[in-house]
Amino acid sequence: MAHPLDLWLAPLFGLTASMPANGAIGTFLLAGIVVLLGELTLRIVARVNRDHLARLEAELKNYQELTREAERRGDAASYKALNRQANSAFGHVFFNKFGLSAAALWPCFFALDWLQARFDPGGVPLPGKPEGVNYVLVFLAAYILARILAGRLRRAAPRRIARRRARDGVAAA
Amino acid sequence: MNRKRFLKQGVAVLMLAAAVFVFGAGELRAQQPAAQGQPAAEAAKPEIKRVGNDLGLPAKLGQEIAKAPEGKGKGQIDPTAPRGVFGVPGAPQVSWILTLLWAVWVGWIFSTVGAFGGIMAGVGHMTVYGLGDWVRTFRETAPGLNKTLTDSIRTSNQFLVGLSAILSVINYFKSRRMSWPLGLALGIGSIVGAYLSASISGGRVSFSQYQGWFGVFVLVVGFVLIYELTPKGQESKKAAKAAAQAFEKTVREKKDIAAAGVTLKSFGLTQSTMTFFGADFTFNPLAAFFGGLVIAAISAFIGVGGGFLYVPYLTSVVGLPMFVVAGTSALAVLLSMITGITTYIKVAGAGMDWTLVGTQLIGIFIGSMIGPRTAKYIPEKWLKLIFIVLALYVGIGYLSKGFFGRAWVPM
Repeated sequence: MAHPLDLWLAPLFGLTASMPANGAIGTFLLAGIVVLLGELTLRIVARVNRDHLARLEAELKNYQELTREAERRGDAASYKALNRQANSAFGHVFFNKFGLSAAALWPCFFALDWLQARFDPGGVPLPGKPEGVNYVLVFLAAYILARILAGRLRRAAPRRIARRRARDGVAAA
Repeated sequence: MNRKRFLKQGVAVLMLAAAVFVFGAGELRAQQPAAQGQPAAEAAKPEIKRVGNDLGLPAKLGQEIAKAPEGKGKGQIDPTAPRGVFGVPGAPQVSWILTLLWAVWVGWIFSTVGAFGGIMAGVGHMTVYGLGDWVRTFRETAPGLNKTLTDSIRTSNQFLVGLSAILSVINYFKSRRMSWPLGLALGIGSIVGAYLSASISGGRVSFSQYQGWFGVFVLVVGFVLIYELTPKGQESKKAAKAAAQAFEKTVREKKDIAAAGVTLKSFGLTQSTMTFFGADFTFNPLAAFFGGLVIAAISAFIGVGGGFLYVPYLTSVVGLPMFVVAGTSALAVLLSMITGITTYIKVAGAGMDWTLVGTQLIGIFIGSMIGPRTAKYIPEKWLKLIFIVLALYVGIGYLSKGFFGRAWVPM
């Protein structure tokens, strides 16, 4: 049965003549696209909600520091009151972060839906395991790898730009 | 630890354990008459044509579809019908616009009121998308399919609410504010609780039973919200705020940042001491373990995250301050969610509709952007009143429909 995403995703799994190699490369590329899309939408939500989240985080941090101070001073009544306020502030921060989690993770589920349609129940063929491995496990491993790689690339990018600028004699403005 | 706190912990753990026992016992009672009545009923039934194959559906879902009666009527599977939710032929075709709009509402609630968003996510799956009424039709004709689809619904619920913990956990790890000695005790308890709950109840809970217990849970949340609006509830909240402000005034000029990180100073099964950001804290690892176990068991059974239970338990019962508890409770939610979901999928064979979850997440992040911008125009008291009415309505409706077969309110 055809899947609406076949047109875009099937070519990722046909880059070589080997099925296991295609399984590994295709899942990793798919995970890379998912990370990229998630990162883009995460940035949109983080930017739109920046002030709101910063206010909530500051409120939580303030109550937490005050609770510590009350604990240090042995002021039981203030400690209890502050802990309650911190509890309420944490609830707001926690559930507001859900918007960020959702923004980062939504593409994973469309990828899983496509993988399920293509590789379930057989599994994704991989080098050393040509009979196939459960699509959720393979995708999860590829996604974690892609996330770690994206994080390293992001951290390395400003350093590379700075080095290139220094080499080209461009003053860092 | 003083005797009073120990007693408080014991009572809380016992109450939570009793709740889990009641869930289990209720389910066993619900299953016994059906099992006893089965042979006679089956003998009287004419030969029924079964679907006979899994129609390409995965694991347990495919097996139960194969056993379901074939036909176009209620409680039957028509293999030629267009595939709907979970890929099942003839299942409701959930409109993506409806899914998105409902999820925007869920995201709005998460970003303004908090935990109630999880309840509304469950209402979406059971009522708004029409899955509940469809799954209920298999109660007599294909009880196995009814229970497998119920697992799929509660797994979908848990996915949505449990995901809220991922970014919090990453942030707390990065800032070295994860209290690992407490996290270890609570986390192991959560994994055991979620595993036991999902593996014992997976494939055994009918949709009606699940809906009934979900209704009980929503009613409890409703009563907590009502208490918060009573003069007594308001007074205690106001007093806490005033005391916090008074204390803040006296230390405003004296903020100091203690050394970051966590170290375990001494370990005992009932009393451990850790240093967290320069201050010593004593806690009971056994109380954290059993609390984690019971809360994760309830959360996995109902299909919720449980964050709103972990935090009050650790602050009020285990007696730890909020800044120690915050990251740890997020970790416990994440661990119990991962354990619950993988157990439902691997052990109980629940099928997932990934596109449905993905579409809901898009709606949730849109709602989370709208929430902070619009909630300020609605007074907090009004927001609470709206959710009290919703909680009572949904709670009574689900409880009556689930346990008594007929909703006492229109739904």
